[in-house]
Amino acid sequence: MTQFLQTLFDGVTVGCLYALIALGYTMVYGILKFINFAHSDVFALGVWMSITIAGWMGIGAAGQPTPPLYLALLVLLGTMVTCGAVGFTVERLAYRPLRRAPRLNVLITAIGVSLLLQNLGQRPFMFGPYPRSLPTLVESGTLFTVMGVPVRVSDVAVIGMALVLMTALQILIFRTKFGSAMRAVSFNTRTASLMGINADRVISITFIVGTMLAAAAGFLYGMKYGGQAKQTADSMWVMLGLKAFVAAVVGGIGNVRGAVLGGLLIGLIEFFGVAYLSSQYRDAYVFAILIAVLLLRPEGVLGRATVEKV
Amino acid sequence: MTDPSPAVLDVRDISISFGGLKAVQGFSLRIPPRALYGLIGPNGAGKTTCFNLLTGVYRPDSGTVALDGQRLNGRKPHQIAAAGLSRTFQNIRLFGDLSVFDNVRLGCHLRGSHSISGTVLRTSYHVGQERAIAERTFALLELFGLAGRSFEQARNLPYGDQRRLEIARALATEPKVLLLDEPAAGMNPQEKVELRALIRDVRDRFGLAILLIEHDMGVVMNLCEHITVLNFGETIATGSPEAVQNDPKVVEAYLGTE
Amino acid sequence: MKTLINQARALSPAAWSVIPRALWPVAAGLAVAVLMHAVVGPNVPGFTAKMMLVAGINIILAVSLTVVNGFTGQFSMGHAGFMAVGGYVAASITYYGSIKFFGSADFAGGALSWTGSGPHGGGPLGKGDLLFMGSCLVGGLAAAGAGYIVGLPSLRLRGDYLAIVTLGFGEIVRVLLQGTPDQVQPWRAAEAAETPWYSLMLKLGGPKGFNLLPTYTTLFWVYLFVTITLIVCYRLKNSSTGRAFLSIREDEIASQAMGVDVTRYKVRAFVIASFFAGTAGGLYAMDIGAISASDLGFLKSFECIIMVVLGGMGSISGATLAAIILTALPEILRELPPVWPAGLALLAVMAVVQGAHRRWHPRSLVVVAAVTLVAELGRRYCASQGINLAEYRMILYALLLIVMMISRPQGLLGVREVWEIFGRRARRPGAVASPPGASSGVSP
Repeated sequence: MTQFLQTLFDGVTVGCLYALIALGYTMVYGILKFINFAHSDVFALGVWMSITIAGWMGIGAAGQPTPPLYLALLVLLGTMVTCGAVGFTVERLAYRPLRRAPRLNVLITAIGVSLLLQNLGQRPFMFGPYPRSLPTLVESGTLFTVMGVPVRVSDVAVIGMALVLMTALQILIFRTKFGSAMRAVSFNTRTASLMGINADRVISITFIVGTMLAAAAGFLYGMKYGGQAKQTADSMWVMLGLKAFVAAVVGGIGNVRGAVLGGLLIGLIEFFGVAYLSSQYRDAYVFAILIAVLLLRPEGVLGRATVEKV
Repeated sequence: MTDPSPAVLDVRDISISFGGLKAVQGFSLRIPPRALYGLIGPNGAGKTTCFNLLTGVYRPDSGTVALDGQRLNGRKPHQIAAAGLSRTFQNIRLFGDLSVFDNVRLGCHLRGSHSISGTVLRTSYHVGQERAIAERTFALLELFGLAGRSFEQARNLPYGDQRRLEIARALATEPKVLLLDEPAAGMNPQEKVELRALIRDVRDRFGLAILLIEHDMGVVMNLCEHITVLNFGETIATGSPEAVQNDPKVVEAYLGTE
Repeated sequence: MKTLINQARALSPAAWSVIPRALWPVAAGLAVAVLMHAVVGPNVPGFTAKMMLVAGINIILAVSLTVVNGFTGQFSMGHAGFMAVGGYVAASITYYGSIKFFGSADFAGGALSWTGSGPHGGGPLGKGDLLFMGSCLVGGLAAAGAGYIVGLPSLRLRGDYLAIVTLGFGEIVRVLLQGTPDQVQPWRAAEAAETPWYSLMLKLGGPKGFNLLPTYTTLFWVYLFVTITLIVCYRLKNSSTGRAFLSIREDEIASQAMGVDVTRYKVRAFVIASFFAGTAGGLYAMDIGAISASDLGFLKSFECIIMVVLGGMGSISGATLAAIILTALPEILRELPPVWPAGLALLAVMAVVQGAHRRWHPRSLVVVAAVTLVAELGRRYCASQGINLAEYRMILYALLLIVMMISRPQGLLGVREVWEIFGRRARRPGAVASPPGASSGVSP
């Protein structure tokens, strides 16, 4: 029973991270109809920016006490802003010239951007080619124990922060004027432009919001796994990003609620697979789910099927 | 077949709806061999949807389509093409990066057999087939006055030539019935006159039945022996050009009620 | 109306004439292979020879991926996965086959596959070569089977989904291979000889990789395969099958309407590409003497994609050139010689060719000149700062991909081959003996 609860809890925590990353994929897909391959690298960038900013602020050096909460939030803010800027630049320079290009070309460009970010990040003048350990930003003590499952502060922070961000996004999309512009552009870019919506601006902001969410996920990841962050070109980042993408597809790509649902689903499947089947095939479970979903219900759990007009 | 008169294409009562929209309702049509039929109607009447239903792009919710007595329902588009129903597209769908020649050669694809081993080993059958395809393609291009442009990319052709190339490509599949979706769209009056002659010539030469969608009344009334008028997915009139032209319902559909 | 089939029969050449047409690719392959092995290999530095070998394997990978990504326009991102399947199967057959048949996992080939130092005593071919070749082909078939299994269900998916599924496939292959049990080490050959095949074949070394394989891969074998791959892909491209592939890329709906069984041709493309990727995997494993699934992850697939994209989506010669250039680039970048002579020479050649064809492309000349200038200035700067450009090659590739997609999305050559750049895109195929129309089936 304890094992079950523990797995459930871990699955939900990681699922929240996947959901945050998946939101970025799904928002970009919803509006531009292409897979932003570089999104996983923005996530990696988020982790590394947290380390760097914390370093600048002198947090986490050996022997230092855990910093107060507002400093941690400052790190989070800094990470989100820098990553948002990167997202904006990438969209502006690489994706905008391809607005009318075939989707395949945009996908290849995204692969190019991904490789670029990975390898730039490894240069000595950026983050360097070696793994680095993450500073402790939030106390890692156990908060309380439910039926033998220890609930740590970092877990609560992850889930809480994820909930806050997702709610904020939900409000942004469905309750604000900008949100309705976004939905209009996603539905039909050209018509939206004719209605006086500045589509380029909407797309830019969507990118920024998406990358900021990934950056937040990176920060939370850093908090939860206070161990080592691999170098930016390590395949683990792409793997994590891919799982988040799978979450977006499983939930129904282009659908914000679907991304959250898919994230939780993928987190749970992964952890239950590891706990009850075998940890060796950890990555295989996720892709097996992806293939099953694509074959049985290609539009995803909450998605809608589209028909090509002849 | 219960009906005594032979029909090469026999469409009975096909319907389809998208969501709540009844795009086509109870569409029936019997085309005899070597006939030239027309399908007209205002924009959004469901004409192209009819073509898509016949060629298997969409599956009808109900009703049957039969070609030469073979039922086509539930078949995939390529199987329907193999059965002998070929089409052109309203918004031209040529293989733009390929040459004019290759576009028509692809149409010939259907009637050959193409094994990987034959292709890789260049068996005598494969070589003979490639030659036959090339000859047939040249003959078709010649007929359509496109032979001189054989090696240009299809996307670089003028609009009228692209329309004619689509017809040539469709003919290369050796169809029994040819569906033309707005063949005269975008053509100038001179080209339209030539197109009329060309379509008749194609019908006589290849001995096939033709069903065409057209907005240009000059072309339709001149060319077609029999016309069906659609409006809001329903057949509102059918008959000879004269009869249809004078049908009050048709006049109403085109001009609106007083 | 005379049907195409009847017409084809009438135009078929005599049946016996198939023999030279079917066999000359093999002869050409052997000729190229012998040339590389006996003339080029011994006369270039050892390191260059090694690079040529790697380039050959990359050519096979790039050209085979062209069939899927270039011709058919499907986007496979799991090419390394197929390579891994083929490589592991070939490695397993060669390694355990050697133990079973020859008693040890040592090299048992002839002079053509001798990679050791000093001359090889025996004849050109040994018993091991047969095993090696057979295992590469079986590896190719296994990869083709995997291609079929992946292709059949997933090809119903739209382009970008397919990319993800193939990527997922590659990762699943990697994970599964890393989960295999330890290999039976060479010094326990006696034990291995008694273990049945089916259980031996699965002992693939897991995360440690499959090591201590006998090395058979030489320039001879690589270029034999390269030539055959090139000819097969070229023949496919210039045939009905190839046109069907291209038509799917151009417009899937029109292609269906013209009677092309789209799913079937996509699967065909996948199977063909996987087969060659599998043989390349075998050559790769028996070159290094080891194969490790962790080296064949999506980064390797990306490398293949970069080659295809740079060469031109659908150009066999383009992919070949890109494979050669990208293999050599890290080495060239390490100590970059002055760029301007090459740029100048290229400009001169282009000017002469364009002049001869009376088709001037001033933009292409300006682009080449500008690129040369920028490259030369960059080189001087890096040389003066002591920067090793080879470390920046992935960044260069990435930038190249992005710039290419924005400025020239069809790649360097597009669908054309090198020799078609200034000529017409397609030649009049086959000798049409009779005047058009006379014997054609078009007239009633």
